[in-house]
Amino acid sequence: MGTLYEDMVAYGGEVFGKEHMETLRECVQCGKCTGGCPSGRNTAFRTRKLFQMALTDMREEIFNSPELWFCSTCYTCYERCPKGVKTTDLIRTIRNLAAKEGHMSVPHRMIGVYVLKTSHAVPLGPAQMELRKAVGLDEMAPTAQKYKDQLEQVQTIFKTTGYDAMIDFDWDTMNLKGMDKGGKK
Amino acid sequence: MAEEEEYDYTKIPPTGSVEGIAAGAPEDSPRIGVYVCHCGINIKMVVDVEDVTRYAASLPNVVVARHYIFMCSDPGQDLIRKDLAEGRVNRVIVASCSPRMHEPTFRKTCSDSGLNPFYYEMANIREHCSWPHGDFHKEATEKAKELVRSAVARSALLEPLEEKLVDVKPEALVIGGGVTGMYAALDIANGGYKVHLVEKKPSIGGHVAQLSRTFPTLERVASLLTPRMIEVGAHPNIDLMTCSEVEEIGGYIGNFDVKVKRKPRYIDMEKCKDCTPCIEACPVKDIPDEFNEGLSTRSAIYIPFPFAVPPAYTIDAEHCLLLKEGKCGDATLETIKEGKAVPPCMAACPGVIDFEQKDEIEEFTAGTIIVATGYDLVDPGVSAEYKYGVYPNVITSMEFERLLSPGGPTGGKIELNGKEPKDIMFISCVGSRNKQVGNEYCSRVCCMYLAKQAYLAKEQLPDADVKVAFQDVRAFGKGFEEFYGDVKTEGVFYMRGLPGEIYKKPGSDRVVVRGENTFIGEPYEQEADLVVLGMGLAPNKDVKSIISMLKLSTSVDGFLMEAHPKLRPVDTATDGIFIAGCCASPKDITDSIAQGKATASGSLLYLVQGMAKIEPAISQIDEEICIGCARCVDVCPYGALELDEVRHVMTVNEAVCKGCGGCNSICPSGAATMKHYRDRQVYAQIEALTEITDVGMLAELESAATAAVAAEASAGAADTGSEAGEGEGAETEAVPGAE
Repeated sequence: MGTLYEDMVAYGGEVFGKEHMETLRECVQCGKCTGGCPSGRNTAFRTRKLFQMALTDMREEIFNSPELWFCSTCYTCYERCPKGVKTTDLIRTIRNLAAKEGHMSVPHRMIGVYVLKTSHAVPLGPAQMELRKAVGLDEMAPTAQKYKDQLEQVQTIFKTTGYDAMIDFDWDTMNLKGMDKGGKK
Repeated sequence: MAEEEEYDYTKIPPTGSVEGIAAGAPEDSPRIGVYVCHCGINIKMVVDVEDVTRYAASLPNVVVARHYIFMCSDPGQDLIRKDLAEGRVNRVIVASCSPRMHEPTFRKTCSDSGLNPFYYEMANIREHCSWPHGDFHKEATEKAKELVRSAVARSALLEPLEEKLVDVKPEALVIGGGVTGMYAALDIANGGYKVHLVEKKPSIGGHVAQLSRTFPTLERVASLLTPRMIEVGAHPNIDLMTCSEVEEIGGYIGNFDVKVKRKPRYIDMEKCKDCTPCIEACPVKDIPDEFNEGLSTRSAIYIPFPFAVPPAYTIDAEHCLLLKEGKCGDATLETIKEGKAVPPCMAACPGVIDFEQKDEIEEFTAGTIIVATGYDLVDPGVSAEYKYGVYPNVITSMEFERLLSPGGPTGGKIELNGKEPKDIMFISCVGSRNKQVGNEYCSRVCCMYLAKQAYLAKEQLPDADVKVAFQDVRAFGKGFEEFYGDVKTEGVFYMRGLPGEIYKKPGSDRVVVRGENTFIGEPYEQEADLVVLGMGLAPNKDVKSIISMLKLSTSVDGFLMEAHPKLRPVDTATDGIFIAGCCASPKDITDSIAQGKATASGSLLYLVQGMAKIEPAISQIDEEICIGCARCVDVCPYGALELDEVRHVMTVNEAVCKGCGGCNSICPSGAATMKHYRDRQVYAQIEALTEITDVGMLAELESAATAAVAAEASAGAADTGSEAGEGEGAETEAVPGAE
């Protein structure tokens, strides 16, 4: 494990390319990202500050703060950054590193639960099924949510990659472990 | 590596010499002296200069090899002078830095001692050896030896060349009548030489004429500029051409042939009295006034601004009904001719307006050219989040200048739609220092003009809330930092952080600026009724034709490129052509004037002497061989080659040729060669570098290379590919299907 910056370049570099990740060092702290952040308007998410914390290697503070998960990945700051810092992709990389070390927000883990249970992050619910029926369609769309053998394939991928363990998934209750006791960090 | 650690450059003495193997060679044969420079420690800390010296002494035709701590110093040059004076050497090689740095120095050393300067050769063992290969002492030393070897091989084949002189027409052309061009023209004109000053617009003065006051001294620009403009307009040595554009430039230093198109003003400038009845009469009155950045309107017949020079009206052919549509009221060009109906302007001012005026082409010869074509303001639409053009509250800094100007649309009052703003926000770095909009550079003037504008806003509206949102404040000039302090003391609040976006306050005509105060680390939403965008400066889009006519280069940022960014800031790659002011990079009035005057000085250098040296290392046609096919004409970027129809051979215009070598490489018969870069000189160099002395072998290699790239991969080439593939670490491009 190196500094957070080094880890971001190494880990995120595999997906986005190293140069993409290295743009973090070009940040001039102008604040245009925070200033235009739609999420930061309603939450405590502070993009510019997050990057300064990443550059000063405040790994634990970032990983333990719930704000890291408030970015909606809308790419507004990415489009506007005057220095071409690949903001959103950097945030996603920090999240991946945090998740690997067991820091992942409950709502994000719950999305994993949906995928494990239905193979969809946003599965068809009763209301949508009603709507489909009303227009003369099959209640279920012909996707993995409908076909159990396909769902099993998705679940196999999750098991093989260890994603189920990473989000603390309980195969007995088909939910996060300890969710009945109000959830775990 | 242990071996590399053994090299200790501190043990190398400051100087030393070795007698060469050709010490006894006859006087009339090439007798080469090699001088290896330490460049202080720049070269010797990596390259073993003693080893290189010993090696040089072992090369053919070398009479003596010396090394010295600083060859460019006087004692260093004395080593060369002494050897030349004693008749010991007749060829000189200095192994030191780039020829761009010191070739002129050592050529002069040679010519001062009576040796033809083209017998001088250079090996670059600093930029090519010690600097890039700092961690590889051994390899860098070997490379230095190879470069010296190739220089020695070439040196023996050099020929003396004579530098030619051309006459310089004692007149200068200045393109652009902004503050930079004005000062350049004035200095040359005051020096006693004629200047042709070409300005595209109807008046000189440029962008500076639009400004309210200067920073940091807060002087009124109009009062500073007007006397200079009048001086330019009235100067007996200045041929002022307004409404004019350069159409064509040919020729070379001292003798540039220039064609200028003068567009008609449709006004007899001698008779125009600068009064107003024609304006009142003109039926077209809704044209956005360029001088006021579109904040007011003008008629089709107009004067750009009250202190315009020349002080004459112009008819805008793009908007004048008679010129655009052929009819104004009952008047047409025919009715005017027939003496029947005339347009309202002619009726209001008889005998001055002349619709028969046409474009005129003026031709002249200029000895030197100064390009001072200025800048364009960045398009404020590039940062869409600031909503310029969407909300009227958001204006550019140039528009704000016009609001501040006593001659502006509001008479100098800061107001928008007749209302005084209460909350004013200035935003810095709009369109500069921004990769997303493609302008990575800093525009240099915005920090200070925003400070000035904020100060003037606070001065005029003491109760207004004036804030500047910035990312850095660069107050680097004389008096700038002090001024920045004063502005803040006056009550202008500087808030760090570039705003993220601007939106309309619901149910109000105000806007909300949203950003982060990065010092506190929290976002804010600040209401404002006026937002001023600190626009950056961009390269002038209208000068593309001048760039191509003069063969100028541009830097990555799009501004014109100087010959050297540090040492030759106003010169270009072409002798006799200079660049000054914002066409080269953004700069303030002070720096623009300084550059304008610098180019005047550069021009006067040639105008005063009346002659200029031209490069002798240029193309030469062997008329015995030339078949007059003229293929070289197609590749010559300077138009230096011409076919002599009578003798059917090509001729080189020696003043125009820049020695690029294009004709040399395309000539099918080998008739076109480059002086100082003869084929045999270049081949000797390559052969020495590759240690191939057998020319037959070189020819073999050439044909092998040709075969390898041939479309049909022959069996022979495939063998080469597979053989190379077996070798350790070979990086030969394998031929597909070879295995």
